Amino acid sequence: MSHLSMDQLVALREPGAEPGTATAREHLAGCAACQAELQRLDQRVARLKALPALRPARDQWAAVNSRAAAARRVRRLRWAAVGGLAAAAALTLVVLQRRTETAQVTTAVAIDDVMARSNQLERVLEAYNPDARVTDGVTARVAGELEDRIAVLDRQLNTVQMLDARTRDAALLRLWQERVGLLDALVDVHLTRASNVGF
Amino acid sequence: MNDAYVLTDSEVVLSRARAGDAAALERVYRAYETPVYNLARRICRTVEDAEDVLQETFYEVCRSIGQYRGDGSLWGWVRSIAASKALMRLRRNKYRDTDELDEEFHRPTMKVDGGLRMDLEAALERLPETSRAVVWLHDVEGYTHEEIAGMMGKTVSFSKSQLARAHTRLRRWLGEEEARA
Repeated sequence: MSHLSMDQLVALREPGAEPGTATAREHLAGCAACQAELQRLDQRVARLKALPALRPARDQWAAVNSRAAAARRVRRLRWAAVGGLAAAAALTLVVLQRRTETAQVTTAVAIDDVMARSNQLERVLEAYNPDARVTDGVTARVAGELEDRIAVLDRQLNTVQMLDARTRDAALLRLWQERVGLLDALVDVHLTRASNVGF
Repeated sequence: MNDAYVLTDSEVVLSRARAGDAAALERVYRAYETPVYNLARRICRTVEDAEDVLQETFYEVCRSIGQYRGDGSLWGWVRSIAASKALMRLRRNKYRDTDELDEEFHRPTMKVDGGLRMDLEAALERLPETSRAVVWLHDVEGYTHEEIAGMMGKTVSFSKSQLARAHTRLRRWLGEEEARA
């Protein structure tokens, strides 16, 4: 066998067995020239490792730090911008919430008003006590239709309680307003009939 | 790694460096400035390139130190950044790997015992960039061929053949050739 090539010598220095390593080792064991060559290779590597460290002629820290600080500033500005946007969004949310709260208060007041008006009309009807009175067919039919629609509204008023606050208040106001309208009409129907018949 | 380059109080320094403390980052720089520059200078052709690699490396360290999870040594992490930057610089410069041409223009500088011989520094300097990078990363820094191949975007065989070619040249230039019968 011819002497080991540099590829083989280099491979022999690698940890683990590579293909052909066993054959190369066999040759190495009996070849003084290749042993010397491998030793020279080891020494060369040792000398490479022992080369003095080359040091920078200039201190680069100021440049590195300045660049890194500039990058940090940019990052902070970006975060600040993001934070600013977030703050603006939060502020908008607060304003909207306040407006919503104000609207909710306004709606609640309006509901109270319309409920009071509804109670007032109920009392008028109660005082009139149409059930105890004789009514003509048309009046009875119209009054019946109005009472049916009021009954439907009352059922809706019960179910609307399950909605979320904002939707519920708006629905309550609308339904109570509608109820007041129907009650108004019912009162009118009874009182008009009464007036027509001279009560 | 060179044991001389150890960052004392590394946990405390790291914690402060991760928070962007400039003094802590400077401690990291001071601890590894020389080995990083040395690695860069051994791989790159010019002092200017090596200085650029030094700056790029530590800028990256300052920027990314929060991502260092402490899996390996800090030096190992810094060194991988430095090696990557140095190899990137080689690729960017697109230096030619025309060994024969180089040999024409570089003459041995020392005559010893009647033969032509260079010192190791000069011989290393004379190697083509890629060969020199492989020799340095493998023989001195201790990277495996797999790691070198990964960093260079080449095959393991390429790394191995570059190492063998480099040693063949170094052997010749250093006057170590001995006839093997």
